[in-house]
Amino acid sequence: MKRRLGAMEIVGLAMILTLIVVAVAAPLLAPYDPTRAVAPTYGEPGPPSRAFPLGTDELGRDVLSRIIYGARISLAVGVAGMLVTMTIGVAIGLLAGFFRGTVDVVLMRFTDVMLTLPGLLLAMALVAVLSPSLISILIVIGLVSWTQVARVVRAEALSVSQRDFMVAACSLGASSTRLILRHLLPNVLPLIVVMAALSTSGTLLLDAALSFLGLGVPPPTPSWGRMIEEAELYFRIAPWLAAFPGLAILYAVLGFNLFGYGYLRRQGR
Amino acid sequence: MLHFVLRRLGFAILVLIGTSIITFVVAFVVPADPAVTIAGAKADPQTLAMIRQQLGLNQPLYMQYAHYLGRVLHGDLGRSYIMRESVTRLIAQRFGATAILAICAMVLSLILGIAMGMIAALYKDRAIDNGLLVVSLGLISIPVFWLGTMLLVVGGLYLRSFPLGGFSGPRSLILPTLTLALGSGGYYSRILHTSLGEVMGQDYIRTALGKGLSRRAVMFKHAMANALLPLITLAGLDLAGLLSGVVLTETVFDWPGIGRLAFEAIFNLDIPLIMGTVLFSAFLIVIANLVVDLLYAWLDPRIRLGEQG
Amino acid sequence: MIRIAIYFRLVLILLLAGCSSVPPLKLPPGARVLWLAAADDVPTLDPAIGYDSASWIFEQAIFDTLVRYGDATVELEPDLATSWEISKDATTFTFHLRRDARFSNGRAVTSADFKYAIERVLKPSTRSKGTEYYRGIAGAADFISGRAKAVSGIELPDPYTIIFHLTGPDPIFIHKLTMPFAAAIPREVAEKWGEDFSHHVVGSGAFKLSEWIPGQRIALVRNPYYFAAGLPKLDAVVEMVGVNEELEWLKYEAGEIDISGIPAAEFPRVMRTPRLKALTIHNVTVTTDYIGMNCQMAPFTDVRVRQAFNYAINKQKLLDLLNGRGVVARGVLPPGLPGYTPDVKGYPYDPNKARRLLEDAGVRNGFAPVLWLRADQTMILLAQSVQQDLALVGVKLALKPVAWGPLLEAVREPNNTELFLLGWEADFPDPENFLEVLFSKRQWRSNNDTFYANPEVDRLLAAAAPISNLQLRFKLYDQAERIIVQQAPWVFLYHPVSYVIRQPWVHDYVINPMRPSRLEKVWVSPHKAGG
Repeated sequence: MKRRLGAMEIVGLAMILTLIVVAVAAPLLAPYDPTRAVAPTYGEPGPPSRAFPLGTDELGRDVLSRIIYGARISLAVGVAGMLVTMTIGVAIGLLAGFFRGTVDVVLMRFTDVMLTLPGLLLAMALVAVLSPSLISILIVIGLVSWTQVARVVRAEALSVSQRDFMVAACSLGASSTRLILRHLLPNVLPLIVVMAALSTSGTLLLDAALSFLGLGVPPPTPSWGRMIEEAELYFRIAPWLAAFPGLAILYAVLGFNLFGYGYLRRQGR
Repeated sequence: MLHFVLRRLGFAILVLIGTSIITFVVAFVVPADPAVTIAGAKADPQTLAMIRQQLGLNQPLYMQYAHYLGRVLHGDLGRSYIMRESVTRLIAQRFGATAILAICAMVLSLILGIAMGMIAALYKDRAIDNGLLVVSLGLISIPVFWLGTMLLVVGGLYLRSFPLGGFSGPRSLILPTLTLALGSGGYYSRILHTSLGEVMGQDYIRTALGKGLSRRAVMFKHAMANALLPLITLAGLDLAGLLSGVVLTETVFDWPGIGRLAFEAIFNLDIPLIMGTVLFSAFLIVIANLVVDLLYAWLDPRIRLGEQG
Repeated sequence: MIRIAIYFRLVLILLLAGCSSVPPLKLPPGARVLWLAAADDVPTLDPAIGYDSASWIFEQAIFDTLVRYGDATVELEPDLATSWEISKDATTFTFHLRRDARFSNGRAVTSADFKYAIERVLKPSTRSKGTEYYRGIAGAADFISGRAKAVSGIELPDPYTIIFHLTGPDPIFIHKLTMPFAAAIPREVAEKWGEDFSHHVVGSGAFKLSEWIPGQRIALVRNPYYFAAGLPKLDAVVEMVGVNEELEWLKYEAGEIDISGIPAAEFPRVMRTPRLKALTIHNVTVTTDYIGMNCQMAPFTDVRVRQAFNYAINKQKLLDLLNGRGVVARGVLPPGLPGYTPDVKGYPYDPNKARRLLEDAGVRNGFAPVLWLRADQTMILLAQSVQQDLALVGVKLALKPVAWGPLLEAVREPNNTELFLLGWEADFPDPENFLEVLFSKRQWRSNNDTFYANPEVDRLLAAAAPISNLQLRFKLYDQAERIIVQQAPWVFLYHPVSYVIRQPWVHDYVINPMRPSRLEKVWVSPHKAGG
């Protein structure tokens, strides 16, 4: 019998679950208010100490509390951005793969055009002109990262819709909507779940990059990418300010990647 | 073949036009007035009105686009609003630094990726394979800007053996190259691992193995050449992306390349420069795509015949 | 594997090609060079275009104006004009030029070169940022619209005299002639290069452009034709580009750079180390950083709310974040600006009073205004401190960091930005440059971004503007400032103090409160060559 989950996927899932727990229980876990000055030092970062295990930043805020609260915004952006990406990508991929012909050509040519655009540059330009906010960041992430999803889903949909049961359902006169939703989608679903995990990790990295470039969700909301950006001014005297939030990003991205790649590996892809 | 080449070429041009329209729309339908960007903080309304007139910003959008396209076709990407310098020249000046970094990073990522992918495939499903898989996933998951910052802290501050940024000779290349190559090396090793796995499952390989050749010999003599193809394709496209500038790494290392130029352009909302860098990048990617497509068609006649049929 | 080796060799070749593409700087042995560094390229050297200190430090070195400021003061001194007369009504300005001034190409500087420079700034196709300063010259409007081929109000009785006729009295017009916009430029060179003049500049200043490799370095060498005997004292000034703040500091410590900024993270250590502290140079800038409150948007229409914000924000805390590089502002005008009165009291930090005032004004707890600011690390840092302060009086401030251009555009829109974080650097050492420009109703949708309006203030400002007698002039401005401070359309934050550090072998480098440092009198004593 085939195991339903591999070791990598289990580890990945466990990492994702702890992340969710930390995000939800942030007020219980965080020792301090992440937006208030709690350290005795102001204007200079404080090194890790008993009271502040990961140190404090130049505004006197506790780094550990900020990282814990940062899980909220990172997860929220990661998951919401993934939803936007997947919605666009899956819709376009399914339509192109199912209808084929002209629809396929038009949609895929459009996808090709989007693929030639440099994603990060486009995202930066869009966020800069729309001015950074949670909504604008989500829209932009969705707009620049759906193309890969669309391609993969299309390929899968193409092969599924040529299988016998699809041909049979079609000849029995099922409507396109019914065919797509009842027959095509469920068969593409496993792949979609994997793409969702990988797209979440991509979104997390893109959001962190935007935050690092000063284009993230505005303060005081603590976000890991912005913490690294703010730490830049002090990286000579206080490298811990940049080190810990980076590890947090690495942890979250790795969790989703382990889950996604673990599945692909079991499928031999 | 000629038919195929023409089709591909036509498509490439279409893609570029599409790209230019999208960037133009993004750049001009923004709620920002270029005149303010040009005139600076203290300009009075009269100065602004004058600049708007000079730039033709009072014309309808499609007219502005037509003018723009006309100039682009003559190789003129316009002048930067902020630096008042020809965009073509600005990109040309920065291209050298970006190209050196891109090529070094690409070579190192291929070495890393091929080495890791090959070792993992040789010891398939053993501890080394699993270990390498986790390592490569770790590398893929590192935020590149953070890796760069940490390398700067360790290599530049603690070891004091590397400059803290800027482009000043071979030594200054090492940290940014590493920053770029670790992540994509991890990614390439995954790609190679997968394609080697597929190739090793094919009949002619099984035959070779059946003849009693060792797995190692088969892999090097027969499988490698075929398995490398998808990797080289991907690397070709990636190289085009790298050559059009790497914003994050160039920002972290104050690298005088196109990525930093684009970054500055976006922060200043210097529209001609934003358009120029985006179009340049799209141009490289389209060219790389074209080359890859044509190479494939040349290698594999089924593709060009399939396109016609 | 063989292929990889080939690639590797290819890379090495490319590498060497890349590194040698920047030729080493050719300087005579023993040349006295001042080494500087900057992260970004000089934006421009074209005096009609540049309007930022990174451009002006070089433009000041390459070009001469009629009059200029002292090295460390904002007092007028002769530059190419040896003497000048201003008519009693401040509408006619006559300058007499020195006869020994030459451009670095050897040609003599005449009054026509100044006229050409100003006409070039006024010409719409130049898209100059300085147009507005010379629009008051008679005939400028006709010239801009194309109805006239020349500006009739600039009279050249002989090659060494230039007379400006204005359409109305403007006692500070002479200050507008100290800006590089009004520097003499040779027409033949400017017209030859057009928009590329920036890379081929020729001026009459102490230095001339030797080479400019974009993204790498810019080098000036002494102008052999410079009129002042014995100046410049340096043979060359070289600025290395692409050197970030951190790297600049390390290069300073290694002795490769002669003048350096001090990164925030290093500043406390520098001030604790007597040897380094002795090498720092500082000066209070004539700049005021502030939070503007839109007086047309509720609840900031209520003076009590505006005063409450002034009491609620701890300015000392902001200075702590800036390592103390500033002085707390008590009013609009910075100390060091002629016309500044030290007894304007401003608003001390008093959160209790702030809470009371907000309560009186009926502002509910949890009021959440939006502060617009430039998306810049330091600005966002300061804004977060303000956010913390306001949270203590029940105001939940939201931040909106945007790019520079959109910020400038947004604040000019009426009823758009209730709060914004900005600074104002003086262009001229006169209260007019703050009070009229930023607070008169005439400047709505231009630079009065708080949309503040007060008839008494407008009256005082209008009365002061044409007055040449400084005592009388400053008295009226002082009255206007007191009303403005009491009505608080701004949260008056601080006046930045600029700091640099020099090497022990660098002498006579001083900071001007309003303009970039001048380099012609700087000299270096013999030392082990670093750069």
